[in-house]
Amino acid sequence: MTSKYGDDASADAKLVDRFLRRDVSAFEEIYDRHCRMVYSLVVRIVQQAPTAEEVVQDVFLHLWRNAGQYQSARGPFVPWLLTLARNRALDHLRLKSERQRRREDQTEDMPAIAQAPEYEKALDQKRRAERVRSLMGTLSAPQKKAIEMAYFEGLSHSEIANALQEPLGTVKSWIRNGLLRLKEGLQTAS
Amino acid sequence: MSEQDQFRELIEGYAIGALDPNERTALEAHLSEGCPECAKALEEARLLVSQLAYLAPPAEPSEMLKARLLRTVRAESAPAKITEMKSSGRSIPLWLWAGVAALFFLSLYSSWDARKLQNTVQDMKAREAAELKQREQLNQELTLAKHEAWILTDPNSKKIDIMPNDKAMPVLEAVWHPQMGIYITGQKMPMPKGNKVLQLWLIPKAPGSKPMPSHTFWPDANGKITEMVDDPPEVMAQTKALAITEEPAGGSQQPTSTPIWVGGVS
Repeated sequence: MTSKYGDDASADAKLVDRFLRRDVSAFEEIYDRHCRMVYSLVVRIVQQAPTAEEVVQDVFLHLWRNAGQYQSARGPFVPWLLTLARNRALDHLRLKSERQRRREDQTEDMPAIAQAPEYEKALDQKRRAERVRSLMGTLSAPQKKAIEMAYFEGLSHSEIANALQEPLGTVKSWIRNGLLRLKEGLQTAS
Repeated sequence: MSEQDQFRELIEGYAIGALDPNERTALEAHLSEGCPECAKALEEARLLVSQLAYLAPPAEPSEMLKARLLRTVRAESAPAKITEMKSSGRSIPLWLWAGVAALFFLSLYSSWDARKLQNTVQDMKAREAAELKQREQLNQELTLAKHEAWILTDPNSKKIDIMPNDKAMPVLEAVWHPQMGIYITGQKMPMPKGNKVLQLWLIPKAPGSKPMPSHTFWPDANGKITEMVDDPPEVMAQTKALAITEEPAGGSQQPTSTPIWVGGVS
């Protein structure tokens, strides 16, 4: 993928507008553009390919049936889609658990739409992925591990602290500082 | 650290979903009060967190997943298209409506025209049947008239006066042709009483022979009789006399009353 993020976002917005009008070909194009990224995220979270396919199917059907909840004027499509996919995958992991109850209290069914900062608009998806991996590689192993446990496993600060046998405050700092470092790195890359 | 700073430090943890319940509740209460700085920070943090998806190792979904999805989506979009066509007048152009209306009225007219044609054909058939029946009747009358004329004019025919027992009754006349039968005429005949009919009998010459039954008949409203008997039960040469009696409706095999008229043949 070589186009700029802004072009990608504009193309996505047009496709979403089309499948809002029940255009199946637009839906197919959206799927072809983003299914690999969504599937990669979901299978990383649920750890099983068949389950991942169920969740991805659920995500795209939810998108098809509730596309009106996404408003292109309020932000780019891909982060919104990835947040939706992550929430669905984590919900699958949390069935009948305390963590599920906590997650349901916190997370809306459809994610909020965020305006893209300038650094986001300057990178295409491939370069952004490479940059994110590169920046995460600069973090300490425990810091990276804490962030991944929070993001891919949906664990809370306390749960991560217990799992890593580290103080709660340390885990909170790892996660926050790691995310801020990631943000700074992406801004520098732009 | 101010309260604002404390909330600000929770934003990234909230965006990634790692806050414990008490912190989450407190931050949400703060956000609900409309803090613009925290709201903006949260928006950016959410976008940042979504970038962590790129840490997942690349993987490829199966083609079957796409096929399943498209099958479902197409099935769901089909009723929507039908509904759209039904509900949207613009989806069906005016000329098409006009065409449908024209076709409807053409069908209606064709149906009416076919019905009318069918009625006409039925009327023609009925008229043709009536004319055919009338023609047959005329043919019969013509044949009868020819027979009558033949019987009356043929030299082989024999004229027989059938005389009444009561002088107040009219005389009947019969003309018998050996091959063509007996033709009986009469005027001013009284109508038989009750449910009676007049019946012709042939009285054979052979001694002891019983009267032979023949046609039954009635005078018309004017008291006129024109009866053609084309199949007499006995030949003229073997018949001594003709007799007419009054009999119950349907006639009798043997006379049940005294003859009112009798005419000698030989």
